[in-house]
Amino acid sequence: MIAGTDRELKMLDKASAEFARKELAPERQENDRYPDAPLFEKTIKKAYDLEYFHMILPEALNGVGQGVAALCVILYNICREDSSLGGLIFTNAAAQELHIAAGAEEILKAVTEPADSIYNFLIAAPVFNNPRDMDNAADAAMQDGRYLLSGRVEYTVAGNIARHAVVPAKTEDAAGCSFFLLDLSSEGVTVSAPIPSLGLHACPAVDITLDRVPCSLLGQVGEGPQYFGKMAGRMSAAAAAMSAGIMKGSLTEALEYSRGRFQGGKRIVDWSEIRMMLAEMAVKVKTAECMVSRISQGIDQQETGWQEYAEAAAIDIQRSACGLTTDGIQVLGGVGYMKDFGQEKRFRDAKHIQALLGMVPTKKLRLIEGMFR
Amino acid sequence: MISRKEVKAYSAMPPVFEDITCGLASAPKLPKPMVKETRRVIALARKFNKEVVRPYALELDSKLQASPDYIPWDFVEQANEWGLYTGWIPKIFGGKGWNMPSLAYFIEEIASECLAMANLVGVHYLGVSTLTSTGNVRLINQICRQVAAGEKTHTPCLVSLATTEPGAGTDAEEIDLMDKGTMTCTAERVPGGYKLNGTKVFISNGHLSTWHMVIAYSDTSKPSENTVVLAVKTGDKGFSFGRKEQKMGQKGCPASELIFKDCFVPDEYVCFSPEQIRSLKRTVRETGMQMIDYVVSTTRAGVGAFGTGAARGAYNEAKKFAAETEVGGKRLINHEWAQCMLAEMLKNVMTARLTYVEANSANGLYGAFRDLQRKPMFYYYRLMPAKFFDKMVSPMLEKAFMTKTFRRVQLDGQTDEEIHRTSGWASLSKVAATDLGIRNCHMALELMGQHGLRRSYRVEKMLRDAKLLQIYEGTNQLNRLNIFKCMIAGDCPQAVIFDE
Repeated sequence: MIAGTDRELKMLDKASAEFARKELAPERQENDRYPDAPLFEKTIKKAYDLEYFHMILPEALNGVGQGVAALCVILYNICREDSSLGGLIFTNAAAQELHIAAGAEEILKAVTEPADSIYNFLIAAPVFNNPRDMDNAADAAMQDGRYLLSGRVEYTVAGNIARHAVVPAKTEDAAGCSFFLLDLSSEGVTVSAPIPSLGLHACPAVDITLDRVPCSLLGQVGEGPQYFGKMAGRMSAAAAAMSAGIMKGSLTEALEYSRGRFQGGKRIVDWSEIRMMLAEMAVKVKTAECMVSRISQGIDQQETGWQEYAEAAAIDIQRSACGLTTDGIQVLGGVGYMKDFGQEKRFRDAKHIQALLGMVPTKKLRLIEGMFR
Repeated sequence: MISRKEVKAYSAMPPVFEDITCGLASAPKLPKPMVKETRRVIALARKFNKEVVRPYALELDSKLQASPDYIPWDFVEQANEWGLYTGWIPKIFGGKGWNMPSLAYFIEEIASECLAMANLVGVHYLGVSTLTSTGNVRLINQICRQVAAGEKTHTPCLVSLATTEPGAGTDAEEIDLMDKGTMTCTAERVPGGYKLNGTKVFISNGHLSTWHMVIAYSDTSKPSENTVVLAVKTGDKGFSFGRKEQKMGQKGCPASELIFKDCFVPDEYVCFSPEQIRSLKRTVRETGMQMIDYVVSTTRAGVGAFGTGAARGAYNEAKKFAAETEVGGKRLINHEWAQCMLAEMLKNVMTARLTYVEANSANGLYGAFRDLQRKPMFYYYRLMPAKFFDKMVSPMLEKAFMTKTFRRVQLDGQTDEEIHRTSGWASLSKVAATDLGIRNCHMALELMGQHGLRRSYRVEKMLRDAKLLQIYEGTNQLNRLNIFKCMIAGDCPQAVIFDE
């Protein structure tokens, strides 16, 4: 459904669904043990080789230039099985989009063009915090014509596995923050251990401490919140696609289980209360798929008002995913709560993804602010 | 204006007066010292939280994340030292005899900091209440006194309940489903006792318990009329532990697999069997369901307290965060929308609490707490020294007539309406409070943004932990059906339950 009738998207849909089924599903439980188990580097590398990390990046910048719809198709399929890889792809795409929003294509090109590995290509970013929400920025000071960053940036996704990071920092001469690109292998960078968190365990986040670290300014000083807003508009669709994928995965597993499990002498799917729960889940999944398909198309075609539609749809789909994954566990009963099945992870990941691009209440308030303008 | 006859008739119209006034009717009957004692219990819980639970909750969760096979003996030993495993065992059976409704308040307090640790204490009383519900006074006395001895000798002696089977979760908790289900845990009658075979799964505190109340069936083609409850001790021949489940949350509280292979249980450890209850006024099948209801009427209200604790814990952390954090340039707590979210969360906490308090008022008037809360009995237990019960009463409890009398009072003394009222209210509390617990965890995470995702901010663990509350003690779906059965179906004679 998400791929629509576009031939290229349909091929991508098929390929990414197969990749998720073969590469992600069998190792889901083990991969989720990170950092108590090794990171699934081989799988990440395979996704990189398949250019899933290049999808939204323009061809001129060493990308595939397929647009938001293609990114949504990939994220949807991957998150059906394991959202951690989806989180890494999302973060990288968001970091690339921040560069583009700031008109800093040349800086981005300097990263992507020479990159010969996922480590060199990947860009970390604190994608859970909208700079207009909470103060999570370093301090930038100008010295000898270049900026040096000091301070701490929390919850930077992929900060321990990427070569570069985009981080917000405050400058003396502007009220709003600015975004900077820095090399995480530079002297003065300290990266914390992966932060234990609710979901997306194999999409690690870290706290970064900086001590006079050289960096490159993206766009104009003080324009960080605007660039983040532009990026968030487009990436809302991608976040919604991730949630939709989780929903689809949860429904699929619930359907399979309810056909095989017996209670009171018959399959649980033949009890009408379970059937009703499954029906509610199906309604949510179909609606989410429909919305993701439409908004990603709208963004790529620059339709009027696409940003509001995308943000509203993302809020609704993410909320829906939290409710649906609760029922996804409930249909399986006790085993749904155990690590043996994917449902408990989907429940955690759905809630985790809801926090992408900022706090839920402020995302809603910003939507209505935009309508008052 | 209205005649006596009319008052009676109108009061009997749905909702029946007694169904909606449990708290009101119970208040004047409560012995006054219960309030003071409950205050003391809550204070004890808060002290225990400060000194033991809060400092260790995240560490224990992380420990289990890294090493899923870890068994939290360290916590259980501390709880044992604090006297938490005998607190709610009646004095007549060697315990401290704190009033039973205070257990729910205690559980709420602990659950507001850590649901796993609350479960490490609370689930022991699920085992104890199952044992008590069998009415087998000799075994109740014997096992409860071992729990008390374990406290004195610093060797915790916990009791678990083993009901769920690999092929039967919901079926094992409802007599109307049992016969259609796939019950496989068999208790074969052999000379001198029963031979137990089968597997039980998801048994909370299994690995930590000394005694296990095992529900088995002497004829699996008709389990509803052939249910036996056997007391099996860890170390008994033919009994072993299988895997320890890897759960999303409540990691600190093990969910164990119990495996029985030709495990011989002598007659003296048969807590309940069809032969033992044939002289009661109800049929074996009806008494079996009454026994289930007797247990779940208290334990589901207890899960209501767990849910309230989850709702409260999430509210507490969100409030603290909102007071300390700036969003959009001003304190989060000074945004009107955040104030309304916090008010909504507090409303959820209060509402959840009211449900378990009402359910326990029903238990005090019509169910498991009734005899303990009758004023003469209450003061008798309270004022007589423990030594009196140990030396004088305990030997009497060995006599068969005591069990017979106890069962007649406990089981025959309860009307069908009372069974429905207590069971219905317990299910209502369980569903309402656990749903509100989950709701508050979601709201707290939404209020806290990226900070809420971090384990160190505690709320993500609360959400993981709280989800289990909607599943155990009967899924919330089964409990909704029980609410229908107990509180709605009586109004509609056409209604058929568990048979669509």
